[in-house]
Amino acid sequence: MSDAKYFQRGKIQELRAELNSDKRDPKHTKKKTVMKKIVANMTMGNDMSPLFPDIINVMNVPILEIKKMVYLYLINYARSKPDMAMMAIAMFIKDVEDPNPLIRALAIRTMGYIQVEKIIDCLVDPLSHCLRDQDPYVRKTAAICVAKLYMYDRGLVESERFIEKLRDLLNDPNPTVVANAVAALTEISERSEDIQLSLNFSVASKLVTALNECSEWGQTYILEALLYYVPQEPGNAEMLAERITPRLQHANSAVVLTAVKVIVYLMNYMEKEEDIANLCRKLSPPLVTLLSAGPEVQYVALRNILLIIQKRPDVLKNDMKVFFCKYNDPIYVKLAKLEIMFCLAHAGNVDQVLSELKEYAAEVDVDFVRKAVRSIGRLAVKIESGAQRCIAALIELIETKVNYVVQEAIVVIKDIFRKYPNQYESIIGTLCENLDNLDEPEAKAAMVWIIGQYADRIENADVLLDDFLYTFLEEPVEVQLALLTATVKLFIKRPTAGQELVPKVLKWATEEVDNPDLRDRGYVYWRLLSTDPAAAKAVVLSEKPQISTETDNMEPALLDELLLHVASLASIYHKSPSTFLNNYKPRYLMPSPVLRRTRPATFEPSVTSPTAHHEQEQKEAAAANRLSFNGYDMSGFQTGNPYATDVVSRPEMRQSQVTGGVDLLLDL
Amino acid sequence: MINSLFVVNGQGKIIIEKHWRSIISRQIVDVFSDESAKFLASGPINHTASNSDKNAKEVSFTKEDVPPILETSKYLLLHVLRDGLVWLCPVDKEVDPLLVFEMIHRIIDILVDYLGDVSEVSIRDNFVIVYQLLEEMMDYGYPLTTEPNALKQIILPPTIMNKVMNTVVAASGVGQKLPQSTMSSIPWRKAGVKYAQNEIYFDIIEEIDATIEANGAIVSCEAHGTVNVNCRLSGMPDLALNFINHRILDDVSFHPCVRYQKWESDKVLSFVPPDGHFSLMSYRVNLPPQQLLPLHVKPQFYNTATGGKFDISINPRSTDGKPIEKVVVTIPMSKNTTTVNATCNVGQYMYDPVTKSIKWEISKIQVRDRTPMLSGTYSNGSATHETGTTIMLQFQISMYAVSGLKVDTLRLFREGYKPYKGVRSVTKAGKFQIRA
Repeated sequence: MSDAKYFQRGKIQELRAELNSDKRDPKHTKKKTVMKKIVANMTMGNDMSPLFPDIINVMNVPILEIKKMVYLYLINYARSKPDMAMMAIAMFIKDVEDPNPLIRALAIRTMGYIQVEKIIDCLVDPLSHCLRDQDPYVRKTAAICVAKLYMYDRGLVESERFIEKLRDLLNDPNPTVVANAVAALTEISERSEDIQLSLNFSVASKLVTALNECSEWGQTYILEALLYYVPQEPGNAEMLAERITPRLQHANSAVVLTAVKVIVYLMNYMEKEEDIANLCRKLSPPLVTLLSAGPEVQYVALRNILLIIQKRPDVLKNDMKVFFCKYNDPIYVKLAKLEIMFCLAHAGNVDQVLSELKEYAAEVDVDFVRKAVRSIGRLAVKIESGAQRCIAALIELIETKVNYVVQEAIVVIKDIFRKYPNQYESIIGTLCENLDNLDEPEAKAAMVWIIGQYADRIENADVLLDDFLYTFLEEPVEVQLALLTATVKLFIKRPTAGQELVPKVLKWATEEVDNPDLRDRGYVYWRLLSTDPAAAKAVVLSEKPQISTETDNMEPALLDELLLHVASLASIYHKSPSTFLNNYKPRYLMPSPVLRRTRPATFEPSVTSPTAHHEQEQKEAAAANRLSFNGYDMSGFQTGNPYATDVVSRPEMRQSQVTGGVDLLLDL
Repeated sequence: MINSLFVVNGQGKIIIEKHWRSIISRQIVDVFSDESAKFLASGPINHTASNSDKNAKEVSFTKEDVPPILETSKYLLLHVLRDGLVWLCPVDKEVDPLLVFEMIHRIIDILVDYLGDVSEVSIRDNFVIVYQLLEEMMDYGYPLTTEPNALKQIILPPTIMNKVMNTVVAASGVGQKLPQSTMSSIPWRKAGVKYAQNEIYFDIIEEIDATIEANGAIVSCEAHGTVNVNCRLSGMPDLALNFINHRILDDVSFHPCVRYQKWESDKVLSFVPPDGHFSLMSYRVNLPPQQLLPLHVKPQFYNTATGGKFDISINPRSTDGKPIEKVVVTIPMSKNTTTVNATCNVGQYMYDPVTKSIKWEISKIQVRDRTPMLSGTYSNGSATHETGTTIMLQFQISMYAVSGLKVDTLRLFREGYKPYKGVRSVTKAGKFQIRA
């Protein structure tokens, strides 16, 4: 006999008649059947609310299964029918006094759900009693109920001193009650402006003791709450972390990752390097084990691992192999693994990583292949001793002539040229064979940059550029900027080859396009070239700063913030929660006498690696202002050349000089 | 915490909808369908580029490729795809995603335990039980009771016996008493368990994850093991399990019943077991590179402009003389493959023109048998840029643990009887892949 038959659309009238039927029903089986039908209809989205008064009559049937269904019904409809809900109050009040703790708990739980003013008024007293009920099952249910009430009416919870009562529950002999009280307090603290959970050492220590005995979910609540403990004395952080480490062996991945989070947090307050190193060693195996779980868990684990290894490079440093991609991993897992592989790569394992990446570059998944090719290039920039082999691999890939592989390779080769000037330019010839198929802005811009930068070596640079210029006005702005700069470079390096192209491009850039960045840059070059060719040369061909993959790393401040959010949504997106969630209360690494100073920011903001820069660009379109100067090749501006800034800051002069500039230029 | 759960079938129809906090409109399911459709259609990003490219390999994403967390304007959609059903939790507050995923997995496991399987049909047939379970397992989005033993005392599984019991109990009013185990310090075990025959069985199941180059070089290789227990012991038995060679274990995780301190100090698994089936521990072993894998697959591909030929042979290796059973070799072919012709000397092969893959099944391989071979030719519709393929392998070896893990002794305390004890092991292929 299955429940599926209840899924026929029940007519309200029929159901009402059945509910109120006078037929003898000593075992209440008929009532049960009707209730099942009603619940079934409810789940199908049929409006069962007209039955409210009839349902109230069923409330006093002393059968738990029926009671549960009635409560399910009340939760569903009481809010839309507050007057009706009043009729249920008498029953609730009777049930919270029931000798059976299951029913007491059920009643208090249900009342918490029905957020109707009158019901809430009646809830206050019983809730206070239930928080002190002799039965732990009722107490733990009541603790959660306080959190429910808080979301409905903060003032009431504060005026009725429920927060204090919850705090008292932290000393409850039953660990599950403690865990639920902690969960309720944490949630209230996260939602409230004026209530801030803060644990001292003795409470934190007590909670850790309760950890050993409560359910797996209770363990996650308690671990989460430990982030509200700020160690004030040396030794305390070590001691707590040590006691938490057994949680790393839990079968529940949520417990494991939350334990990792607390340990990583406590490391900020530890004194001895060896303690930290010791804990780092313990973190690796459980993190690897998370990767043998389902793909969802793997994904969350991988995103978090990427954060943790940036802060604590000792973690997982010898476990490169576990991040190698499996053929049938879902794409999101593969991409996440790739980032970690890059992060873990060093001179000692670069060969191993490279041979894996080459393998991936031959797979069928376009996205994945691109990322793999790009990683090879970044690897060359990151690890000097492996650069030669990475570049050989890239050349091999370019020779496959697979379009997107070639384009991706060109983008990264540009970075390699910048990182290792005068070493690998011999491959320019190979690159130039693939110009015709470039259709992605990033690849085009990179290729144009290469042509401009090596205009003196590429025999037919002017012809190549002219080909690109043919579609100048249709190109996206990043390609236009690159073309502009490359043409000027060509002109400065080989005036005869560039003299026909430069005026054409400058004229387009200043007169035909709407983009202010492009126009401004056009004017800058124009004026430079027309007033002081020597200065123009100094600016345009100035020594470029070294690039490194250091800048791919996250800003230390953001990293520290995100590490407080390990095992959360923020850790998936690597964004501060305030950027994608409403009403979010930010977290900080709280000061304390034993807080370790985070290392000073070592990165130089002006030296943005182009690869990193582009990922950033998409995210920060709003910050266009800055990007225009950090963009493709504004080398002069980056080194703060006085000519450049002078021109930009005086627009009125710029305007007046334009015409004269053209004449001068044409005279050349 | 978890706000709502929707269970959605393949057509996007809601089967189960449960809200523990505020009610989220059912329309969120359409939003989810749109978002995942958008993802599937997007295929590889920068699609425009590869469209114009003749060599672009046709790749379509499958539902398995949709990231488990999707961002929309109002909600973040966390979901798990299992057996064609989507378990969707929309959230608009910060939440521990692992907690959500673990909880969904747990709900599914419990439903499997109750209903035998989880499908649209089985859920519809038992929806009242399903709702009761959902109600019992969570309170206000906080996981509440998730121990199968505790749940079964509150909500009886839908067996015929229980239906009879139910009516009897119903007659006597509120018959259910508070299950002791929900609040005891041993929540996983109920009191008063009695068996006429006391027995306990251990199943050691190991899966080998390996990636191997065409030339046989091992890229990575590890074994994941779980110890599943079927415990039918009366009373409150306290068990101590010893392994002969615990040192081989690289990482372990335990069921909550295991006393961790005891393992740390003495390397003994000391626990009071739950009743019935449960998973005692899982572990990971990095197999040393010199270790011989149970079998060695040698793939050879010779490509020509319009197709090519291939030879694949399987050599069984050291398995302590145990036969390798249920061998399935899956060979994904290039997407523009038109025909495949092959012969094999053992088992049978099948080419699926829809998924473009060859499946070769062999029921049993013994070391002394002749080497299984599959060889044949294939042709491609158009000339193609050559890419590697990866051969996937499944197999099973009974009474064999690749890690070599062995149980030494099992001692019983606190109860007087002598239980019957049994240990079995089996080794399977996990993600066992050979690059060709």
